Amino acid sequence: MAVEAFDPTREQAAAAVAEAGHRAAQVHRADRQLRWMLLAVLAVYLVAAVTMSVSPHRGSPVGVIVVVAAVLTGLVLAVVAGLRIRAYSRAGIITYFATIIAFNVWSSVVTSISIGTGFWGSGRPAYDFGITVGIAVLPLAVGAALMGRRR
Amino acid sequence: MGHPVRYSIMALLGAAERAEFAFVRDHIEVSDSVLSKQMTALQEAGYVKVHKGYVQNRPRTWLSLTRLGRQRFERHLAALREIAAGNGMAAAS
Repeated sequence: MAVEAFDPTREQAAAAVAEAGHRAAQVHRADRQLRWMLLAVLAVYLVAAVTMSVSPHRGSPVGVIVVVAAVLTGLVLAVVAGLRIRAYSRAGIITYFATIIAFNVWSSVVTSISIGTGFWGSGRPAYDFGITVGIAVLPLAVGAALMGRRR
Repeated sequence: MGHPVRYSIMALLGAAERAEFAFVRDHIEVSDSVLSKQMTALQEAGYVKVHKGYVQNRPRTWLSLTRLGRQRFERHLAALREIAAGNGMAAAS
């Protein structure tokens, strides 16, 4: 392509700058598919946490079915959201992967502390698991919130 | 980059790490053939990279700016901002 010089008027330059902002906003809207993937994973964990917390017996068949259904549904939603990604910004993809990494690290720490201190264990009330998971998924909630706020 | 369609493509890809061909086409509101033609021109200038792949056995074409393309677009945009602000009439290229 010949890189042609041009001499825009002030108004034309302002319109071109405004268009660049408009195009950037379109890409940032497309980033929201990444946010849906985070929300799908977050929802799976929250459903599992609530189900296990309210289940009188941790191994109840209904609870297991609900958790398995939530995992499968979340997986399908995350895959669908992934397939619908048509564009992403550098900030969007960095936020997404940073959130996943932070979640893995943070949830490992929270789970270790929970088990290590005996907060989460057999003989404990059912909500010990729910509280542990609720704290463990905080990075997902923060990441999804950050991606939702980006313009 | 003075061509309006090429500018729109560069502006969209300037904000994106990668964008699908169909995404660019739909947002720029041009036909496949017009976009292909302009993409070829931008590729020849070394501004745009094309990545081809498959998703669920369907071909997908992703577009992104090269480092040169990103530098040129940012310089171009900076010049436009200067002109819009009334700080001189430097020609943007």
